[in-house]
Amino acid sequence: MMAGTVAINTFREAVRDRVLYNLIFFALAMMAAAVLVGQITIGIERLVIINLGLTAISLIGTVMAIFIGVGLVYKEMEKRTLYSLLSKPLHRWEFLVGKFAGLVLTLVVNTALMTLGLAAALFYVTRAFNRADASILVAVYFILLELAVVTALALFFSCFPTPMLSTLLTLGLFIAGQFSTALREYGRVAHSRVLEVIFGTIYYLLPNFHNFNAIGAVAHGDAIPRALIVHNTLYALLYIAVVLLGASAIFANVDLK
Amino acid sequence: MSVAPRTRFNRGASAAIPLLFLAIVPLQKGIDRDRVRIRASEELWLRSGKLLKAISMGYGSLLADIYWTRAVQYYGSQFETGHSQFTELYPLMSIALTLDPRLSVVPRGGSILLSEPNPIGAGRPDQAVELLQQAIAANHDDWQLYASLGFVYYWYMKDYGHASQVYLEGSQYSGAPIWMKGMAARIAELGGSRDTSVMVWSEIYQNSSEPRARENAKQHLYALHAQADIEALQKIVDNYRGHIPRLTSLRDLVEDRVLPDVPVDPAGYAYVLDSSGLVGLNPSSTVRLDILEPTKHDKPTQ
Repeated sequence: MMAGTVAINTFREAVRDRVLYNLIFFALAMMAAAVLVGQITIGIERLVIINLGLTAISLIGTVMAIFIGVGLVYKEMEKRTLYSLLSKPLHRWEFLVGKFAGLVLTLVVNTALMTLGLAAALFYVTRAFNRADASILVAVYFILLELAVVTALALFFSCFPTPMLSTLLTLGLFIAGQFSTALREYGRVAHSRVLEVIFGTIYYLLPNFHNFNAIGAVAHGDAIPRALIVHNTLYALLYIAVVLLGASAIFANVDLK
Repeated sequence: MSVAPRTRFNRGASAAIPLLFLAIVPLQKGIDRDRVRIRASEELWLRSGKLLKAISMGYGSLLADIYWTRAVQYYGSQFETGHSQFTELYPLMSIALTLDPRLSVVPRGGSILLSEPNPIGAGRPDQAVELLQQAIAANHDDWQLYASLGFVYYWYMKDYGHASQVYLEGSQYSGAPIWMKGMAARIAELGGSRDTSVMVWSEIYQNSSEPRARENAKQHLYALHAQADIEALQKIVDNYRGHIPRLTSLRDLVEDRVLPDVPVDPAGYAYVLDSSGLVGLNPSSTVRLDILEPTKHDKPTQ
């Protein structure tokens, strides 16, 4: 219950901090794209709008998740509001879960509004929706799962001493997670059993953000397999659980005096 | 949280985290299987090598290395599926070559992967020609590129006119080996003879640094060797059968002192005689004669 209160307050704080102003940038970008796309491309207007829109949703969301996420705990410690919070009947892990849920809620609202913008731009360009467009929502859902994992990682690193270090570590892990599939392939082509095992282990340990990339597929009108939706959901939940558990264990031992 | 619950929490977390990571492994394997179904449309986003070079900010060479590595990985992963058309192979290689026109492994190794028929390669010698011509445009005095181009024309496209012309052109550049001139004359004179084929595959085998290309050359040399053996043995069998029709195996020829021993193919397996009297490879042999068949994609121009 207390975690829920922390989550609502985190969301309110994000709105107060004008975080959602990024939507203006997104709206302008989509409007410009919708107007220009017909003039600079031939036959791939729908493809361009979907690629551009989903990429922007993913990038903006990732930037928000990392830069707000790494400050979630640090800011409370710096402003010393954490002490008054923890003097209430609130476990440290509840505080972390509340912070996580609050930022994810902010990202969900932000992403939902951007998706509406994308839908409007798509309708402007194509003048009609078709059945294949429904899979765009699956790609958006995958982006949200990815953002939730990034948020959990940012929160994990926010338990570390400086926001700069936390940002670098989160960003580094985010980039490494984008290339985890390539890492496994390097292990395979290295013709060394040892390297294959090492890279294979890293492959499973790193967050695999490639799992959540369905932008290219939906832009081409491909249906996303139902099993992938289920597996990706479970993967994100499991990974978030691991990261939040680790963050809670670290935060439980942080000396706040 | 007091110290005791904190310790309990830490112990619980230490036990739960490895278990949860273990649960991720089968889940990730499931995702890898699911993603195969949507992979085809997401291999390559940026197809313009020129654009990539412009935005590489002077790091084009490194990007070329990455693209070439990506091309090899792509080939390996698609080869494993056993039914790929390798559609992204050419764009990946062309981009790598645009980013670094001196990366000679791309046109030399890549042209073989593009030319080999499915399921070994893309079955697109026309794309191999384009790739090699792109490389020659940037390195017009590199005789090895002409040798590779001549080979693609000769072996995969059966275009002996172009093959001879390209070998001759390449032979004029500094460092070109003497055999290139001989090759040009030989192809012009004899077209697609087996001896000429052995010569060109031997050249590939000896001078290629790309392991897959070398292995491919070795397999072709084995097949050409075996084909020659089978033809020679068939003549002996046909001749011998005219005199004594009871011939059922090649061992009979050894017993009648026609052959000193049952000949073996380059992989070390003895040739066999089937019930219809035809000499062939041992079913256990690793030599593959089917790789000598012309590609289905291109029609010989001669």
